[in-house]
Amino acid sequence: MNAPSRLVGSTQPPPRHASLLEALGRAAEHPSGLTFVDASEAEETLSWSEVLARARATAGALRRLGVFPGDRVAIVLPTAPDFMDAFFGALLAGAVPVPLYPPVRLGRLEEYHRATARMLQLSGAVLVLTDGLIGRLLGQAVAAARPRLGCHRVSKLREAGDVPHEASVAPDALAVVQFSSGSTVDPKPVALSHANVMAQVETIRALMPVREGVRPLGVSWLPLYHDMGLIGCLVSAVAYPGPLVLLRPEQFLARPALWLRALSRHRGTVSAAPNFAYALCVRRIRAEELEGVDLSSWALALNGAESISAEVARRFVERFGPYGFDARALVPAYGLAEASLAVTFAPSRATLRTLSIDAHALAAEGQVRPGERTLVSVGRPVPGAEVEIRGESGEVVPARTVGRIHVRGPSVMVGYLGQPEATRAVLVDGWLDTGDLGFVAEGELVVSGRAKDVIILRGANHVPQEFEEALEGLEGVRTGCAVALGTIPQGAEGEVLVLLVELSPDPPADLADRIRTRVLERTGIRPHSVELLLPGTLPRTSSGKLRRREALRRWQTGTLTPPRKVRWLGLAGAMVKSAVALARAERDP
Amino acid sequence: MASEADVLDAIRSIAQSELEVERPVQPGDDLLADLGLDSLGLTVLAVGLENRFRVKLSQEDAVGVRTVEDLAKLVVRRSGASA
Repeated sequence: MNAPSRLVGSTQPPPRHASLLEALGRAAEHPSGLTFVDASEAEETLSWSEVLARARATAGALRRLGVFPGDRVAIVLPTAPDFMDAFFGALLAGAVPVPLYPPVRLGRLEEYHRATARMLQLSGAVLVLTDGLIGRLLGQAVAAARPRLGCHRVSKLREAGDVPHEASVAPDALAVVQFSSGSTVDPKPVALSHANVMAQVETIRALMPVREGVRPLGVSWLPLYHDMGLIGCLVSAVAYPGPLVLLRPEQFLARPALWLRALSRHRGTVSAAPNFAYALCVRRIRAEELEGVDLSSWALALNGAESISAEVARRFVERFGPYGFDARALVPAYGLAEASLAVTFAPSRATLRTLSIDAHALAAEGQVRPGERTLVSVGRPVPGAEVEIRGESGEVVPARTVGRIHVRGPSVMVGYLGQPEATRAVLVDGWLDTGDLGFVAEGELVVSGRAKDVIILRGANHVPQEFEEALEGLEGVRTGCAVALGTIPQGAEGEVLVLLVELSPDPPADLADRIRTRVLERTGIRPHSVELLLPGTLPRTSSGKLRRREALRRWQTGTLTPPRKVRWLGLAGAMVKSAVALARAERDP
Repeated sequence: MASEADVLDAIRSIAQSELEVERPVQPGDDLLADLGLDSLGLTVLAVGLENRFRVKLSQEDAVGVRTVEDLAKLVVRRSGASA
């Protein structure tokens, strides 16, 4: 009999600060601060004492406007000094910052307005802080959500000449609200207390590699409306305290070399990113962009927020080893917004620990057997955290058996803000049901899939309805009979979007193409595969609800077949054409 | 001020070297339906053009921009406005 799947992290180090405000106060005594890098690699620096002084001025204005302790203040800003004024200003006013994603260039405004309005409503934000450029685009969202104190440019507030202010807060007061996914469908506002956040950053600090005489220096391009960028990088740097170099996410995407060049220039020691970012570096950085680049100072390259590909990691090491990148720096991690951020970290190793398992046995029976699919171990619980793998009836399962990953620890969220029912569904007796599936092997956690209906693409969480609703009204699609799923095909660099769609009579011949274009237009995501199915093929519950995970399991195991009674000769032609389209799309993903 | 031909060249170069678009890029190509650009692709293209031509594009620019030519004309207009 295998040992039960229960892993316990080492003792949580005592938090040095009771709140983020206290941490910022201490950081202001430290000579380091924030450096902002622009597209041409010009830099602007703000010391922590400047960050504090600017935040105090902003807090004074927020108070004058009528922001009270505990009020939520939404922030829609790019990575820039303005963001810091808004974030720390809201905190010093005793309020709770809610960072939301700024609009994407050339993206669809309509969807953005709806999603932003929804998140403003759910967070109960009393006020929105932004800048002139974005402010012009927020009109509709603000008009729909009607925050009590309106929408303001943070630079105007900071410069208004109010008496600087600094509130004091209790450790169990809310510190920040972060959304676990950002769409119109069911976004969940994750409420974290100061104690949650301070415990998390203390944990991260305990895991920082120590090199004699070297001070940690962080470099990040991660969005600040996401746990890994906000808590893992920004708040960690405040609490440490130490220097942090920030790039804008969109600048990284446009030119990934900026990230590695900043690490080299500043002798960065810590930087984290999702799997796709490492793949992007291998694919898109040219040799001439790396002239003189030296990555030998990079001691901790965390890889988290989405499934980790051992192959991508191997290629990254192979490509950047000659520039001094140390393979042992690459550390897989697992976490989620509901746990503040990190749950497990892998130990530093020369090559990642992987398991080759049988994907069919895993999907069909939840058993871990040797096979072809490679999974990467994400290590052991971080200090203060406990992990259990539980079966259907809540019992802890034996090692090498798949179950739902549960987490307990001081960084686990207070709950979903204003959603007691949703909170009770995932948080029982301090244990958080992550909705992820995994197993324990050789004393470490391996994440193998997901029980919740979430699709993680490039480190961002999406709910399936986002894609399914995009198909509404499309001729040839059976109404309400489509499922969107995330899966990792053999040999792919990461998770991809798959659509399983039931047909209505007389579908157009190029339906698969039309589905692709529609989803791309509405969501900005390109489906990897579109599978057209005869009516009644998708599995449903007795009440008629679509069973997405079961559909995925059947699709993966080749058992997704139409009911025998369906006979539509007219469909044959369309099926052949769509099969051709599918084959073409797979050649050119 | 940038000419439309300059911007078209830049779009072709970004499409080829950064976005792995294999087909030859024509002015009439639809950014989504023909080039298949997703939100990452659009960001890479928009930011690449911003950096090259020192202009600012925003989300509201998506209104009325469907093709490569629409985008090139927009960048020309912006670069004229800021010059």
